[in-house]
Amino acid sequence: MNREIREAFFFILPLGIFVLLLMLLPVIGSFWISLWQDVSFLPRKFAGLGNYFRLLKDFQFWQSAGFTLIFSFASVTLEMVAGTIIALVLNESFRFRGIMRGITLLPWAIPSVIGARIWQLIYRYDYGLANYVLRGTSGLSVNWLGSSGGAFLSLILADSWRTTPFVAIILLAGLQSVPQGLYEQAKIDGANLFQRFFKVTLPVIKPVVIVALIFRTIDALRVFDVIYVITGGGPGGFTTSISLYSYKYFLLGDFSYGSTVSIFLFIIAFTITILYIRAGRFREAAL
Amino acid sequence: MRRLFLLVLISLGFFSGCSKKESLLTFAVGGAPNEVDYWEKLIGEFEDKNHIKVKLLRQPTDTDMRRQSLVTPLNAKEKDPDLFLMDVAWIAQFAASGWLLPLDSCIKKDSFDMARLFGSVVHQVDLYKGEVISLPVYIDCGLLYFRKDLLKKYGCSIPETWNDILKCVERIQDEERKNNPNFFGFVWQGAQYEGLVCNFIEFIASNGGNIMDIAGNITVNSNENIQALQFMRDLIHKYQISPPNTFTEMREEEVRTFFENGNALFERNWPYAWKLHNSQGSPVRGKVGIALLPKFDNGRHAASLGGWHIGISWYSDKKDEAWELLKFILSYEIQKKLCLNLSWNPARIDIYDDPEVKERVLHMEVLKKAFESTVSRPNSPYYTQVSEILQRYVNAAISGKIEPNEALKEAQRGIEKIVERYHE
Amino acid sequence: MKEERIKRILLTLGIIFVIIFCLLPFVWMVAVSLSKTPDFLVRGDYGFTIKNYLDILRLENLHFLDYLRNSLLVSGIVAVSSATIGALAAYAVSRLSFPGKIVIVLSVLALSMFPQISVVGYLYKFMSNIGWINTYNTLIFPYIAFSLPLAFWILLSYFSQIPREIDEAALVDGANRAQTLFRVILPITLPGFLSAILLLFMFSFNEFLFALMLTTDFRARTVPVGIALFQGLHGELPWGYIMAASAISSVPVILIALFFQRRIVQGLTRGAVKQ
Repeated sequence: MNREIREAFFFILPLGIFVLLLMLLPVIGSFWISLWQDVSFLPRKFAGLGNYFRLLKDFQFWQSAGFTLIFSFASVTLEMVAGTIIALVLNESFRFRGIMRGITLLPWAIPSVIGARIWQLIYRYDYGLANYVLRGTSGLSVNWLGSSGGAFLSLILADSWRTTPFVAIILLAGLQSVPQGLYEQAKIDGANLFQRFFKVTLPVIKPVVIVALIFRTIDALRVFDVIYVITGGGPGGFTTSISLYSYKYFLLGDFSYGSTVSIFLFIIAFTITILYIRAGRFREAAL
Repeated sequence: MRRLFLLVLISLGFFSGCSKKESLLTFAVGGAPNEVDYWEKLIGEFEDKNHIKVKLLRQPTDTDMRRQSLVTPLNAKEKDPDLFLMDVAWIAQFAASGWLLPLDSCIKKDSFDMARLFGSVVHQVDLYKGEVISLPVYIDCGLLYFRKDLLKKYGCSIPETWNDILKCVERIQDEERKNNPNFFGFVWQGAQYEGLVCNFIEFIASNGGNIMDIAGNITVNSNENIQALQFMRDLIHKYQISPPNTFTEMREEEVRTFFENGNALFERNWPYAWKLHNSQGSPVRGKVGIALLPKFDNGRHAASLGGWHIGISWYSDKKDEAWELLKFILSYEIQKKLCLNLSWNPARIDIYDDPEVKERVLHMEVLKKAFESTVSRPNSPYYTQVSEILQRYVNAAISGKIEPNEALKEAQRGIEKIVERYHE
Repeated sequence: MKEERIKRILLTLGIIFVIIFCLLPFVWMVAVSLSKTPDFLVRGDYGFTIKNYLDILRLENLHFLDYLRNSLLVSGIVAVSSATIGALAAYAVSRLSFPGKIVIVLSVLALSMFPQISVVGYLYKFMSNIGWINTYNTLIFPYIAFSLPLAFWILLSYFSQIPREIDEAALVDGANRAQTLFRVILPITLPGFLSAILLLFMFSFNEFLFALMLTTDFRARTVPVGIALFQGLHGELPWGYIMAASAISSVPVILIALFFQRRIVQGLTRGAVKQ
């Protein structure tokens, strides 16, 4: 017994070291920085929780927090719906299904920045693809990146495009584990296509849906790449997510305040994670 | 297992050495693409003359990105870049953060004649706690470009006031739109970035307003400013003489290409655009004139003071070589070349009397007058944060998201909070 | 049967939707990359040219090849290292008995939710202090750390499927634990190991925030940052260059996605769904 514990220790040690030094320590380090006044052109002095009080009164911050929440909600919803559709399609057997699966993965596979750049050009007011199609069909052009509503919509679309494949794949795995017998039974009971979906499919894949939901939600809260590239946080700071807000302070040389904001995000993400783990879902999956 | 471990460790160790920094003199420069290309040529000349190898670090065109790509290595106390160009607006932050090498000893050692440079500019911007920490390379200010052929065709004179602009455009825009539906009367930089603040300052100063008064009070929320901001917004939404993507995408290059493609009557831009408008293949070659930016009826002509200055990094490992390159850049010959080829206004006063320059650059007179009406952005280490606030609210106002008086009220509040926080 | 017809129609519509949804932006990207100017839709004429590609590959001062090289090297090293370290830990958890196993598994899960932004501020300061800013190391080490949860999960689910008897047999034959792992178990789960490496490679290749803050120029900068901060030679955002660079950069990951789609899907879903 002792021997196994010792062996286990050494096997897990490398992972432990990396994670400790490069994930846990830096978070504590960031928290430490947030307790000081760390600005490149001012003398360093201890600030205690001063930055946090400042955060509480910071209207811009709460605006960005609100935006992040609404963005996450909308984006995840869209991904779930689109992901379900795609998963249902891929669940059927047809020729070239393998290639279809590959195609489905593409938006998720490429670097987020590249996808964002493509969408940025699509949304371009004067010669982008979106307005070209719109003008052709309805004569209107939308100021995608210049209006708050437009910017919001464009970001959700761009972000969902990239993350829907991930959701679709997870849901697909869930779909494939639904026992055929249940469908047979439902058919015998007289359920039609749609009834079978809502009464049989959905309840069975509920655990998988929840897993995907939680992962995607926490991920969406951290959103940075697409926003940085497409809108830069605008117009008027409207689409600044919490990560982007923190980053802007780093760039301005104010490491302490930037760290404060990032710790706040950490607390949120951590809390949600803990709540979810406590809800017990993962005890089974782990073993 | 041990073997694999060793393999991984060795490759890690190997690759840590891989991108070791070669010791070269690194010079970070950005700007419009043609400008950076020209720098490559100049660097070549310097290398031939002085046998010092120089590596040019190309930076993005966007001002904010250029600042970001300097702040990151400087904050990290990196040895590179050794030498770099700075926007007038950043010098205070860089100096206060201790990133700039004081140049007084070099100046004294080589008997560098400071009187050759525009004294007023140096005094305003290049001094920190009494020491010289940067030197001007060229001086800039906002100008009004116009299509002299169109003004002539429709019998319009060069506008003095903003009302004149409106009247002129009224006459011309609809007519021109018959041939070119994409034609707009006046293009300027309204995207949410530093350039917007320059435009904003010009509009408000031309109405008699300002951001900070002499006593140091924040005067953002004033009637003059509100009026000017309302006007900016009306240009896009009410009079519709500025394109709808003014506040989303219009920065220097976008504005320049828009005007250069013949789609605008008036343009607000920096002097660098002149050369490009008149280059081979430009659709508006020979059709462009320059004037002072208009004023409001009760205001004054105002042009944002811009320009780029050069500094040596405090952490540089090649300080002497950097100083040599700096002197090279500020030499008569090179300043003249920059003037003639990039239409940069020299920081050296003697160039303005050079006969060849006077012959080739016809609008030197206008420039001199424009320099007399410059207005500078607030000179403080935390200016970038003040700018962020202004950018955000001004852009929100001109995009129609919030009302101008609301925008300026909030901006005022935000700036006061920043001053309170960062004031020593 | 009527239902069959409806199903068929829905399926066809669904397939069309998926194809357009996924591929349209790519088509647009390639179209712009091969065009003289990006506004061809409005202009009406499409000038076909490969100049964009030639320029970004030839012009040294655009540094595109540097970015590509940096990305490929860093991602490769991270993928192999992280998979190895993850394999060690996953093996221990799936085979050995020791107290606190659940804690470890749940902790690793929790770690995958760490926001990078909460870490990057301190990392920047730390890397500055040890002089690692703008080197490969500054990216490799954090990438390994942040991808370890992923590696751990994938390999854990693969290892859990292998019956312990195989280990017992090897141990009886005189092998120690390490040898068992590398000589016996890994060869069996090679597909899983491969899935892990591919996914880890993609993770590093696509990462943005760390690369943005911890690298400063072409010597260590990676492709995503290069494309986000692209500076061209012809004014404005050089869309032609950006799209050409994007197209070339997408090739490695697109190939991986298309050829190894089954491996990737398996790797991702093993952990999420109980078989």
